[in-house]
Amino acid sequence: MAVRITGLGIVSAIGLTVAENLYALQNSKSGIEPVQFLETGKDYLVGEVKCSNEELVDRLGVRSKPVSRTSLLGLAAAREAWGNNRHASEIRTGIISATSVGGMDKTEKFYRYYLDRNHPDFNVLKCHDSGNTTERIAAELGISGYINTLSTACSSGANAIMLGARLIEQGKLDRVLVGGTDALTNFTLNGFRSLMIYDDQWCRPFDESRSGLNLGEGAAFLLLESDKSARLTGNTTICSLKGWANAADAYHQTASSPDGKGATMAIQNAIDKSGFNALDISYVNAHGTGTKNNDLSESVAMLNIFGDNIPEFSSTKPFTGHTLAAAGAIEAVYSVLAIQNGLIYPNLNYQNPIAETGLVPSTELRKGQPVLAVLSNSFGFGGNNSSLVFAVNK
Amino acid sequence: MYISAASTVSHQPTFQNDGFSKVIEPLGESSELISPNYKEYIDAGLLRRMSKILRMSVTAAKDCLQQADVEQPDAIVVGTGLGCLHDTEKFLNNFLTIEGLLPPTSFIQSTHNTIAGQISLSIGNHGYNMTHTQNTLSFEHALIDGALLLGEGNSHILTGAADEYIEFLDEAAAQLHPRPKLNLTSGASFFVLSGEKSEKSVARIQDVQVAGLVQDADAAIGTFLSDNFLNVSEVDLILYADFNAGTSKESVAYEYFNAHYHADSKLINYTKLSGLYPTNSAFAAHYAADRIKHHPELKNVLILNGLNKDNLGLTLIQSLEA
Amino acid sequence: MDTLKEDLKKHIIEQLNLEDIQVADIADDALLFSTEGIGLDSIDALELIVLLEKFYGIQVTNPEEGKEAFLTINTMADYIEKKRK
Repeated sequence: MAVRITGLGIVSAIGLTVAENLYALQNSKSGIEPVQFLETGKDYLVGEVKCSNEELVDRLGVRSKPVSRTSLLGLAAAREAWGNNRHASEIRTGIISATSVGGMDKTEKFYRYYLDRNHPDFNVLKCHDSGNTTERIAAELGISGYINTLSTACSSGANAIMLGARLIEQGKLDRVLVGGTDALTNFTLNGFRSLMIYDDQWCRPFDESRSGLNLGEGAAFLLLESDKSARLTGNTTICSLKGWANAADAYHQTASSPDGKGATMAIQNAIDKSGFNALDISYVNAHGTGTKNNDLSESVAMLNIFGDNIPEFSSTKPFTGHTLAAAGAIEAVYSVLAIQNGLIYPNLNYQNPIAETGLVPSTELRKGQPVLAVLSNSFGFGGNNSSLVFAVNK
Repeated sequence: MYISAASTVSHQPTFQNDGFSKVIEPLGESSELISPNYKEYIDAGLLRRMSKILRMSVTAAKDCLQQADVEQPDAIVVGTGLGCLHDTEKFLNNFLTIEGLLPPTSFIQSTHNTIAGQISLSIGNHGYNMTHTQNTLSFEHALIDGALLLGEGNSHILTGAADEYIEFLDEAAAQLHPRPKLNLTSGASFFVLSGEKSEKSVARIQDVQVAGLVQDADAAIGTFLSDNFLNVSEVDLILYADFNAGTSKESVAYEYFNAHYHADSKLINYTKLSGLYPTNSAFAAHYAADRIKHHPELKNVLILNGLNKDNLGLTLIQSLEA
Repeated sequence: MDTLKEDLKKHIIEQLNLEDIQVADIADDALLFSTEGIGLDSIDALELIVLLEKFYGIQVTNPEEGKEAFLTINTMADYIEKKRK
């Protein structure tokens, strides 16, 4: 039983479509720049989607309001992934999105007016809750029935993909649009700054001098289909989702364990589920946020799994910034593109290995590689660790 | 799947009160959360930072595991409609008003998955850990995930749902739903779901279905019953929550069941018992299990969650004999 | 110096919600981040950095620097005295 991937959609700091993202990845063009669209009053480095809310509303033709930027970004990506697919009663179709803050981009503006007693518009609160973010996307695409939202911080997007695969595997759905979306907000910017893990320079994943992350925003969706659905739709299978796992680190509220326990479990269980062994993995798209803690813990986990045979690996967060709940979905799309185009992406901004582990990521774009199986890691707050394995469809 | 244990912290005397369904009355307008002694369940080091929703959830989760005699569940699955509102509002206030450094704790604890994360941390659980947030259907989605996990060969899943009241909600509700005045409350209900029947089993969750952006609620109810080979007359008790309840319009549940079968006496509006919060269908599930345990003649209990007019949740809970 | 330590303990109890702990329960030389002491963690360390800025106007830009300063009430008080000069 294969879980087929037949559609991709993405918006991020490096492009508004799959093609634009692929172009930027192949040309080492980062989308991280001083903040431009979000009103912050500061000069933070962020990976914004280069499009205002008004432009997004226009492009997407969204009529009903209020609508959060999180929904708009999600809708743009979901539409691209959905493409020209049609609804059919014999194909049970659902949607699972992931978001960490839902409509917070609207709520935080509301709340400022509320605190100032300056005629706050309570109506915008209707798009605050995370579930609403997904319902808006579903409504635009005409999907009803199974509509769900996951929120597990930075691993959310990967978890949405995993849940979709499990629903197909157990025959509960035939086709499911899975992904994640998060808009940049002052809430999250201030949050990560309060944790003192926000880098005011470009983030440097897996580098000894790394000192934090840059936030980004964006959305990505993948269309998953069962064999039956793919037969009925006639869609071409780009590649398959073979393995998935989620495990709890249960170590600390924010920090990852030094022995990488949760991460190691997630990676091992995902590889086991895929039926491969560790040596079969051609490339690892790492979580690699650029924080001291994550990158060390993830490196230890990779050593636990791969030992002396560390595959090519890189973090693509220096391109997009850390897009929180969208990250797992954005990086899943990049993983699929790596397989489809035989690419291994560079880990930008890297210079020196982390002293404790000595791991060296890929730093140059590699083309024409036989990329047969890709492991994508997403690790979050509260010790929520998820890994996915994508592979060529055989 | 079987309910091996259930635990609820709410505005009703539900906690550690077997048989509560026989004695509770509809809530008045000014009820308060009945808090257990949290210190008996939560380590002081963790407790000091916890907001209400975390205290309720970790306590109900631990109580439920103790009742089921399950030390480590294979997974922890939580549903929450609005998540950790207290800490979300606190951090909003902080960054909009404080100049200078911000205390990080409320940000850390504002994420929806803090609930499931704190449960895993409290019991040292390394299993699958998931948080569903689909407003009024968050609990039903958690149950569906629980069923998937049991289908994948796991034995015991800790599944539950929680939402917390903050004062701001009254103001928002008054602005968005001027009439009727909503009785907003907090609640956390947790269950140990098991794949096999045992001496701990209380009831069976036979089926859970969700209909998001539902077009035809009547048809969805009809399909659900026929999927489970039930006639309307065979449903012994209907626990419902309804968008229209309290207004002049009749409820979906009432209309449906009155049209098909004179079922007036079998209908209970559970929002009157639990108060209103997005995941109060979890309260209804515990109520159903408790009723079944003490009234073995109840074979089929249907939870009809129409709290949001666009979303319909259907859960069929059966006695072990059914 | 003693009033500084007393004040510091009060602020710590308040900022970190140490509900069951009184000023008298914290010895000047107890290791704050050890379970033998009051068992603080890395989140508390960040809260202590906020506390130093809020009540003493001291900015700790490097969290690593905080680690040594926050060993005990004594080291914290020394750190504050030194920075104030």
